[in-house]
Amino acid sequence: MQTTKKIIFNVLFVSIFSFSFGTSLLVADEVSAIREMTKEKVDHVISTLKDNNLTKEEKKEGILQTIDGLFDFSLMARLSLGKKYWKKLSIEGRKEFTELFVERLKQSYLDKLDLYTDEEVVVDEAKLIKKKRVEVLTYLVSKDDKMEMTYKLYKTKKNTWMVYDVDVLGVSIVQTYRSQFSGVLKNESLEKLIERLRSSDELES
Amino acid sequence: MPKNILVCLTYFIVFAMSIMTLKGQIVVAQEKSSQSSNAVLLNDSSFDEEGGDEDEFEDEDGFDDEFEDEFSASEKEIFDPLSGYNRVMTGFNDVFYFYVLDPVSRGYRWVLPSMVRRGVKNFFHNLLFPLRFANNALQLKAKNAGEELLRFSINSTIGILGLWDPAKDLFGFESHEEDFGQTLGYYGVGGGFHVVIPFLGPSNLRDMFSLYPDIQMDPANYVENRPYNFPKQEGEYLGVSRQTLQAVNMKLLKTVNNESLRIGQYENLKKDAIELYPFLRDVYEQNRAKQIRE
Repeated sequence: MQTTKKIIFNVLFVSIFSFSFGTSLLVADEVSAIREMTKEKVDHVISTLKDNNLTKEEKKEGILQTIDGLFDFSLMARLSLGKKYWKKLSIEGRKEFTELFVERLKQSYLDKLDLYTDEEVVVDEAKLIKKKRVEVLTYLVSKDDKMEMTYKLYKTKKNTWMVYDVDVLGVSIVQTYRSQFSGVLKNESLEKLIERLRSSDELES
Repeated sequence: MPKNILVCLTYFIVFAMSIMTLKGQIVVAQEKSSQSSNAVLLNDSSFDEEGGDEDEFEDEDGFDDEFEDEFSASEKEIFDPLSGYNRVMTGFNDVFYFYVLDPVSRGYRWVLPSMVRRGVKNFFHNLLFPLRFANNALQLKAKNAGEELLRFSINSTIGILGLWDPAKDLFGFESHEEDFGQTLGYYGVGGGFHVVIPFLGPSNLRDMFSLYPDIQMDPANYVENRPYNFPKQEGEYLGVSRQTLQAVNMKLLKTVNNESLRIGQYENLKKDAIELYPFLRDVYEQNRAKQIRE
């Protein structure tokens, strides 16, 4: 009887141990898969940029297609406006705001790529921040500079991972837009803000 | 017979354990995702997510709340007593950039090949070694301070007065940028309110005062009278000692040279601005906070 107890105890112990170990492995696996996915997409953007056979328009098209599956643009729009103001908008207003904002984000991303010359993208490590948050650290390395870019991903309801924010040298895109919007909205109405987004020429104050 | 029972029991226990752990995970996960009732877990493919695009514009409180915590920290009012002055000065610096610094840097870039400009940049960067070394040491970052010392020795000799950067290219020692403002921040000194400095751009109270020790540690400000200096440094020119002028010249060369290596970046950054001043302020403060964290 004594030995049976011992065996059962051992089995219990081993199974608990192996199971918890197994799950942590699973998590590690998922994180590295996210890293791979990000790397793949970023590499694809870079190879599209380097491809001399493509016209500028084709490059843009290709890049936007690549990042569309990686970036959750509408979530970024929502987060940038902030819950307080988002709730005040009508469904139509939300749609329009999202559309305008996403257009702007994409354009700004493409413009940044215009500066691209000979930099290389190094995808460093991916870190599990919370249960449903992973940050992928990347570096844009040129001959005499190294720029840190962190892609922040979250787990969507469809069990995929998407980017909801990017930190460039510690500066969060969503955070920056958010504080700008809340600054503007202190003095102006939401309609005015959307108006300003619509006519982006006015934006350069 | 008892052996078989034992095996069965073992299987049963392992099975039960795994189920229990899985269940525990589901519960934990569901609690974490708070009110988002329809969170799909563990690849439950029976859950159909059709029409998700419509939902995007509906209220999804539980889902967004997690993110709200992440970004709402900065919602609080920023103390900015100089905002009036800062706005004007930001405008001034912006105009100065577009009408003076940028065209001059473009001309400079046109004249000199990038290899030369990179050499000049490396040279000035190497000269700032005392600043980096002292501040790494002040923050007790012994390894970084040591690497800076090695970098300076290697680059000043093999790298010929710091024109090249073999310490990084051959030995893999990266530079560790630290200044006095970062040291103060490291020991918990807050930034204070934001100040935009003429020509230099965004800063804050802490970093502005830190400019003084920083300048003291920049050898480029210690140009001495020597018989072979050109132009000659004795006497005065327009009421300013030639020595000061020489230091200013060095600063100008450094600024234009570094700017020529990053033409177009400021314009690009500006595209994300809705209003320039608050935008640049935010970018500066976020970037500084990161530098201090490291």
